[in-house]
Amino acid sequence: MEAPPVTVMPVTGGTINMMEYLLQGSVLDQALESLLHRLRGLCDNMEPETFTDHELVYLLKGQQGNPFILRARRSLSHPKAPWHLRYLGQPEVGDKSRHALVRNCVDVAASHSLPDFLNEMGFRMDHEFVANGHIFRKGAMKIVVSKLSRILVPGNTENTERLSLSYLVELSVLAPAGQDTVSEDMRSFAEQLKPLVHLEKIDPSKQRH
Amino acid sequence: MGVTCVCQVPVAEGKSVQQTVDILHKKLEQLGAVKQGSFCVDCETYHATGNVSGQPSKLLYVMHNSETPLSCLALFEGGPCLIADANFDVLMVKLKSHFQNAKGHKVECRGSRYRYCDFLIKVGTVTMSSSARGISVEVEYCPCVVPGDCWNLMKEFMQSFLGPSVPELPSVFAAKPEGLFAPADSVDTMTQYLELFNKLRKLQLPGSNVR
Repeated sequence: MEAPPVTVMPVTGGTINMMEYLLQGSVLDQALESLLHRLRGLCDNMEPETFTDHELVYLLKGQQGNPFILRARRSLSHPKAPWHLRYLGQPEVGDKSRHALVRNCVDVAASHSLPDFLNEMGFRMDHEFVANGHIFRKGAMKIVVSKLSRILVPGNTENTERLSLSYLVELSVLAPAGQDTVSEDMRSFAEQLKPLVHLEKIDPSKQRH
Repeated sequence: MGVTCVCQVPVAEGKSVQQTVDILHKKLEQLGAVKQGSFCVDCETYHATGNVSGQPSKLLYVMHNSETPLSCLALFEGGPCLIADANFDVLMVKLKSHFQNAKGHKVECRGSRYRYCDFLIKVGTVTMSSSARGISVEVEYCPCVVPGDCWNLMKEFMQSFLGPSVPELPSVFAAKPEGLFAPADSVDTMTQYLELFNKLRKLQLPGSNVR
């Protein structure tokens, strides 16, 4: 029953800001197997990992400015696992030659009271979906190939409908701010996946209408 | 985590906060308790901004306990609570335009941690803006998770060093049906700390200073 160390360092101010570097693309259903085959060859040797997740996107409307967005995700295949709460900041503008989308990222593991707690904070659920697919890893890079499905009845994750006839492919790295070699490594990895899938930097703000 | 009781100990007549804490330490050592490091429990308060005027703004409390250093507990008084990892504090910084940190309201409780057989005793000084507001004692009986089964034992143990200041069964347990176990997630302990902090926050300091 040793005493755990008492931390005297403040959390705010000295925290390392983590950034998410992201490249996205998609493949049609028919091309999935060849992509998975290629990924199995290129990525770290591990048991093939599939997942089924339910993600809810919450918005907090403030007095001014854009609403604050939080993403709450839970695993449907591991129901006892904690929820994963994620905040993604605005994409960093500036260096057009940077190959990946870079944005501030805060990940928090949370208990199962998360949806009620977010509602109490003033967040309201904007939309939800189910994602299932495969996850691969190569060093610090994470490659996720997922099929997104729309939830027809709110809260019912059994009854879903596929959003499209393709799979979303995402290559991402979580690294402290200032590491510029990350996007180079991602670009060279993305080259190896051509022509099966073209991974590119897609700016989410340009998608909104 | 076993059944835990957090209570306030009044400052001894004619003595300072530090002197009363020293008296408690001495009593525990005489009983045979062994000092095992220190502990810290703190609580920060956030106000929700952007509320309709006229309505009192909701208060969000974010608490940390050195016993669970990688977690933090966020709760609304009387409302839902969330157990999250340490990154929740970083998220609150991002949310600062929606939730303002009332910096003057931060309450901290620091002190020594003692172990006596199956009991864990923590005697702490509660401070707010560097002034001591009171003394807290936390007693945990580790082997048992059902409050009803061990409350009498805990009360007897507390009497041996707290004398007449022994508390009643904490309201967090009294509210639960008989025989229900306290889950190992420290919510009940932190709720008791929050009640204690709020009580001490309301007390006016009668001009005596920290020693």
